[in-house]
Amino acid sequence: MLSYIVRRIAIGAFTLLLITFVIYGLIRFMPGTPLTVDMAELDPSKQMSEKRLKELAASYGLDKPWPEAYMLWVGNVFQGDLGRSFSRNKPVADLIGERIGPTLLLSIPSLMLTFFLSIPIGIYSAARSGKPDERVVSTFLYMLYSFPGFVAALFLQLYLAVEFEWFPLFGMVSDNYESMSTFEKVKDLAWHSFLPITVYTYASLAYYSRFVRANLQEVLRQDYIRTAKSKGLGPVRVLWHHAFRNTLIPLVTLVGLTLPSLLSGSVIIEQIFTWPGMGRQFFESITERDYPTVMGLTLMFAVITLAAQLLADVLYAVVDPRIRLDS
Amino acid sequence: MSIDPKAENQFEMSEDLETVEIAKLKKSPGFWKEAWGQFRKRKLAKLALMLVCFLGFIALFSPAIVGTKPVIAKYKGNIYFPAMGYFSPKWEAVFTKDKFYKRYPKTLKVKDPESWAIWPLFFNDPARRVEEDEWPGRAENPQAGEPSSLNFFGTDTRGVDVFAQMVHGTRTALLVGFVSMGIAATIGITMGALAGFFGGWVDTIISRIIEVVMCIPTLVLILALIAVIESPGIWAMMAVIGMTGWTGIARLTRAEFLKLKQMEYVAAARVLGVSPFRIIYKYLLPNALAPVLVPITFGIASAILIESGLSYLGFGAPPPNPSWGKLLRLGQSNYQNWWLILFPGLSIFLTVLAYNLIGEGLQEATDPRLRESGSRE
Repeated sequence: MLSYIVRRIAIGAFTLLLITFVIYGLIRFMPGTPLTVDMAELDPSKQMSEKRLKELAASYGLDKPWPEAYMLWVGNVFQGDLGRSFSRNKPVADLIGERIGPTLLLSIPSLMLTFFLSIPIGIYSAARSGKPDERVVSTFLYMLYSFPGFVAALFLQLYLAVEFEWFPLFGMVSDNYESMSTFEKVKDLAWHSFLPITVYTYASLAYYSRFVRANLQEVLRQDYIRTAKSKGLGPVRVLWHHAFRNTLIPLVTLVGLTLPSLLSGSVIIEQIFTWPGMGRQFFESITERDYPTVMGLTLMFAVITLAAQLLADVLYAVVDPRIRLDS
Repeated sequence: MSIDPKAENQFEMSEDLETVEIAKLKKSPGFWKEAWGQFRKRKLAKLALMLVCFLGFIALFSPAIVGTKPVIAKYKGNIYFPAMGYFSPKWEAVFTKDKFYKRYPKTLKVKDPESWAIWPLFFNDPARRVEEDEWPGRAENPQAGEPSSLNFFGTDTRGVDVFAQMVHGTRTALLVGFVSMGIAATIGITMGALAGFFGGWVDTIISRIIEVVMCIPTLVLILALIAVIESPGIWAMMAVIGMTGWTGIARLTRAEFLKLKQMEYVAAARVLGVSPFRIIYKYLLPNALAPVLVPITFGIASAILIESGLSYLGFGAPPPNPSWGKLLRLGQSNYQNWWLILFPGLSIFLTVLAYNLIGEGLQEATDPRLRESGSRE
């Protein structure tokens, strides 16, 4: 097991280098630099002189050819320094720290809700498979599953926020947030996060419950279920103790693979609700050509994704003793 | 499984004759025919396929359904098809040269009184506002107008008809789905086949590439690639979507090839001295294609989603190309114009739903293990 993990980590480190190298090359090939893009947007006449541009480029290290600049960046990362954002004039690590809270505020409740709802729904629809009520639930879930998140977000905004004014249209807090009491602050945050959390939850809810149901149906066909039934066990006991436990293995893998999305947020959904999270940060830093921020975020996502894949494989072996990783 | 009564009769007859004529026995259907038979049994999947065909029909005939350019026009003794100008400006070259300025109905009569034309079903343009009396007696399109008999789905803030944009946007949506998934499928199947068949260092390199692409969030990679292209047209966008969406297909193809290359018929082919590429192409690919078809179908749905998402973010195809996502973008800046969100949103939903249903139907039709559960309708 240990040698397997060590080998995987070594391969992962190599993959990380490859990913950052590709992205670094890509962003340096984009037309415009952080210096020119920023100025040209404000006012075309305010463009800096050639000389000033060169000075600034030298001070930011933009004058070097990109493979050299990449090596410098890698060296800094090994020393724990992600660099400073060009456009926000802050260390990238601080910027990520600021943005990760709002993203977690949406993704953690949504993941928990998904679990609490999808497992009972999945079990229910597997148990009543083929009955009319199950068909209705499953069809509804399938429709939800096919309903694109950002379209749903716009529909929810249109009807619940604009038409009925039940929820705020966008943003994370109200304008007078600073002057509120602690209780009001929590309420305000909850109010603002309701629509985004709904959008995050419903799609994965449909996916997870279909997943639970499909796995459970597979297990229910096994011989040991027939044995359990013929022993005279009640349906609830068969379902919980004999069937559902065996569906946990694929579920664990799936959870492992969803972990990265907890932190990455969604570019479009955060954009729709003007939520100051990671996805929006990524989008903004690409349009601002903020190289250090793009690199910092890429590195973070890649590390988490690779770690989650490794975790899923290891957990798989832990949950199911039949699987051996060393072979 | 019901047995064809005719075949049964034949069987009895041949028994009477006491000689079983093998040639007369019913030939068992091939894999694809069998799969089609299974697919047809699924009402929803069939309905979804019909919806996609219907959308294809709309996309193909969009200039004839709604437009401001005549479908067929006789002008100065020649027959022209100006409506095809929505596909390529070449078809309108004569009229551009004669200074029509894209205003056909009156100019045509003024420049050539002898001329005649067959017009599209509805007179509206997907790219510009229709002016007053452009079509004799027709009122001007209102700006941000509600759905009416003149503009079925309303108009946007510039007065451009939403229905026309939706009909012409179908073309973009379907094209993006097919072309980008075609690119993704080509890359994915080639990579997966090479990795699975040759193994060793080829497999190691390709698996690393797959991992690299998978570890970068898709939308971020697409945004970065689009930013690199100076002026991204619709074809560049499709290429970018295709180049980022092949990893799932490659992994599946690789797994199929790993499994299939252990088969005895492959060993037999090797012994006979068949070249590796012929084995890949003739012996393995046809057998690996069915399972790969399923992620391709789901991929079309996600390509359509990515395109409308990009258009929503403002990174879509440049102005002459209408797109459903662009309407959503307009809608979000003017919430009171609900028709800008409702109609495109619903059509994106229906298209994605249709492709998902087809994918599911294909999965059940081509995978014998799933047939049992699926055949209860």
